[in-house]
Formats: sequence, C-alpha cells, structure tokens
Amino acid sequence: MRQTPLYDECRALGAKFVDFHGWTLPVQFTGILQEHEHTRAKVSLFDCSHMGEFMVRGEDALRAVDRLLFCDTRGLPVGKCRYGAILNESGGIIDDALAMRLSDEELYIVTNAGPLELVSRVLQEACPTRTDSSDKSDRSDTSDVSDLSDATAKIDVQGPLAREVLMKLGFAAIARLKYYHVCRTKWSGAEITISRAGYTGELGYELFIPNDIAPSLWRALLAVDGVRPAGLGARDTLRLEVGYPLSGQDFDESRTPLEANLGRFVGWDKSFVGKEPLVAQRAAGGYPLLTPIRTPDRRAPRHGFEVRSGDEVVGAVTSGTFGPSVGHGIGLAYLRADAAALGTQLLAGPKALPVETVAAPFYTKGTCRI
Amino acid sequence: MYPDNLRYTREHEWIRDDGGTCTVGITAYASEQLGDVTYVELPRPGAEAHAGDALAVVESVKAASDVYAPVRGRVLEVNKALEERPELVNESPYDEGWFFRLDDVSAAEMNGLMNADVYQAFLKGLEA
Repeated sequence: MRQTPLYDECRALGAKFVDFHGWTLPVQFTGILQEHEHTRAKVSLFDCSHMGEFMVRGEDALRAVDRLLFCDTRGLPVGKCRYGAILNESGGIIDDALAMRLSDEELYIVTNAGPLELVSRVLQEACPTRTDSSDKSDRSDTSDVSDLSDATAKIDVQGPLAREVLMKLGFAAIARLKYYHVCRTKWSGAEITISRAGYTGELGYELFIPNDIAPSLWRALLAVDGVRPAGLGARDTLRLEVGYPLSGQDFDESRTPLEANLGRFVGWDKSFVGKEPLVAQRAAGGYPLLTPIRTPDRRAPRHGFEVRSGDEVVGAVTSGTFGPSVGHGIGLAYLRADAAALGTQLLAGPKALPVETVAAPFYTKGTCRI
Repeated sequence: MYPDNLRYTREHEWIRDDGGTCTVGITAYASEQLGDVTYVELPRPGAEAHAGDALAVVESVKAASDVYAPVRGRVLEVNKALEERPELVNESPYDEGWFFRLDDVSAAEMNGLMNADVYQAFLKGLEA
C-alpha cells in the first residue's frame, strides 16, 4: 500500500484508514456525518495526494493531448479550467480529468488514482518527442508530458470559509479567483498551483504542492480557526449530494460519456479519440443513462442494487448513500432509456426499496459559485 | 465497552434479561464498525422470531446490515425513538440505542450465548 506525504499527519489526528486503489487513505476522522456537515457549514481539508497530475508543455504536446481529451483545451483561455475525459477507441471512459490552462505553453491535467498507470502511458505515448534542433536536452527524456503525480501532494480546502482561510495564510492570489479558474503562487518559497474547484459543491480550492512542503502547509491550514480534517467518507457523501459521478465507480471503460450523462461537456466540434462511436451513439439514441434517484425516506440505495420497473430489470445502482444535508437516500443508477425519464417510480434492491428518478443536484444550496 | 450483565452473539447483538422480558440491541463494536447510523427499520410488535431470524435493519452512511433475533421470542415493544434519532445507536448502544424487547424467551437459549469475557475474546479473534 502506498502512503501520501500526509499519512503521518492524518494518523496523528486519529484518522481511520481505508485502501483505495492501492493507497492507504483517511476515510474518516471524527465521523462521516460530522465531517460532511462541517464542510457544508465551515471548511474542511481533504488529503487528495493520491490523484494524478500531468504537465503538458509545448505546441506539439498540447495538440497531441487535446486529441485525447473530449473537451476543447485549445480554446481554453489562460487561467481557466475545463472538465473532460480520456476515452478509448470505442468511446469508453478511461478516466475523467480536469484540464487547467496555466499559460500559452502549459496545460496542467488532474486525473484519478485508479487508472493512473494507464492514463500516464496513454498521455506520454501520444506525445511526440520534440525534434526541433534548438532542443539540446537528451533525446530519451524530451517528452513534453511530465507525470508529476509522485512528486505532487494535493490538499483540497472545501467549504464556505475556504477563501477566508487561504487569505489568512497569505494566499492573496486567490482573492478574486473565480469558479473553475486557476492560478500559480508561492508558499514557503515553493511554487504551488491553486484551482478553484473541488468535489463537494461548496466554495473550495485545490492546492497542488511539492510533497516536501505538504505537511507544513497542512498544519498551517489546520491551525486556522474553524478548519478541520475530513476523509474519503465525507468526500463521497458530499460529491453524491451534488450529483458528481466517481471515476471507476460510476463509469469506466464499459461506459461512454453519453451514458455517464457527461454529454454536455463533450466538444462535438473538435476531433478526439473515441469520437466516432460517440457520434453514432448520439444519433441512434436510446442508450442507458446514469440517472439521479432518491428514496422517500432515510433508507439508501446501495452500489450493485438492481433497479426494477414491476418485474422487469431496467438498470443498476452504481453509487448510493444517505444524503446528510438532504435527509433522504440518494444515488446514481444506469437506467434503460425508457425508465430514465424524470419522475419515474422504480424499485431498487432485494427489498424493493421505492426510488424515483430526479434532477441533480440533490443538494441545491452549495456555495461553489459564490 | 461490554457490560457484564449482557449476553452476546457472533453477529454482534446484545441481549439483556430484564426479568421476564429481554431487551436487544447491537454492540459498541458493531456500531463502531457501521459508523454513523442513518436509518433503523424496526419489527412489528407481535412478530415471532427464531434465533437467527432477521428482525431489524440498521443502515449507516457506509452500509446496511440485518439485526437478528439472538434467541427465539415474540416482539413486545420496539424503540420508536430510533426512527427520529438513529444516531442513538452510536451514542448509547446499550441504553437509549436499544432496538426491541422480546418476551417468551427460552432461558436455555440465553445461556447458550456468549458472556462479556467470551465475546471480547471472540472480538480479539476477529482482529487477528
């Protein structure tokens, strides 16, 4: 099992750990419900150092990587982020990704822990080795895509007080950073990248930092009044309440972006790997759709529950939990097209739990855009 | 953590003889493993069960589990407070967090369950 640079910090804070794609990660500190509510009300820190980070530099590499992402990164203005995914040739989702334009020459890409090895290989293989004669570096390491994952820690600061907390630590650069924007700044002499994004629906920032300063930054953040640590458990209930799918759980290579309800993020005017089968699927219609479902009470749908309409199986739940801020069971389920329409009444799981298809997000009071 | 006046099952229920009737709940170990409890489904009073029959359901953020009858008996009363405050199962597993009361319980079956010492040894075995 791999440990993040913040493992000792989390252990000292009494974290319970869980194995997640080969990493030992904190699943909770004081309790999932408390951490969930604290994030919605104040501000929490999440250790997300297991995630993948890549730096793409230079025109050839930028062009090559753009072809691997279904969103348009060429037209992405400097300082902005865009959500996308990397597909296989059949249109199946290898992983989702956040692309951040750091400068005219640089694109930063954030991906997940599960498929990281494959994603790293796909990104680096697609990138041509620079051949212009001005490049004096060794041929063997002139790849313009660098996998920075092993050297980079990631702390997510999430919650309505997140801006205040970072300002108190002197991160003046984020004062006017807008939702889905990114900037670079310095802390303790080290360069760090901060995006205003996250996975909770609340105002939040993702701090990408060199491993060696991660513990001191973590401690400095925790020393600010109101800041508490939170684990993967709360991260999961928070993301599901705003309807965000989780790579590896709600989609994988067996699902297309249309099926995973990510069609609105696809750059249909550009070319990208996996586009042709997607265009065909869109034209044919009738595909199963990842659909938000809710229960009438506190019972929760669970991963793997079959979903039925009468006696007929029409789909399966991929994520489900009790939604602490909405007070009822919530989930995401792949449903046959005719069962995915808003307001459809269905039954889930061995005990025929009543569920209804609804619109996401379940939780509508998030502060992410304030 | 594991009161001496209770008997315990391998499924982590506890049962207490209140003199004539018995009270059933889940152990501190079980509530700790489940994490924050978010929903409890209770049996219908009057329901009859054999030892090992599923009588209740407890759901947490992480998972759902059945709660079994530790011994044969008839459901006399259920803890309605858990419907509004399922967190009592975490906060007070042996007191306010009880699930249901049984009557017509067999003393022989009760004696066949683990006492606190045996249950703690059983838990140690699970960790090993």
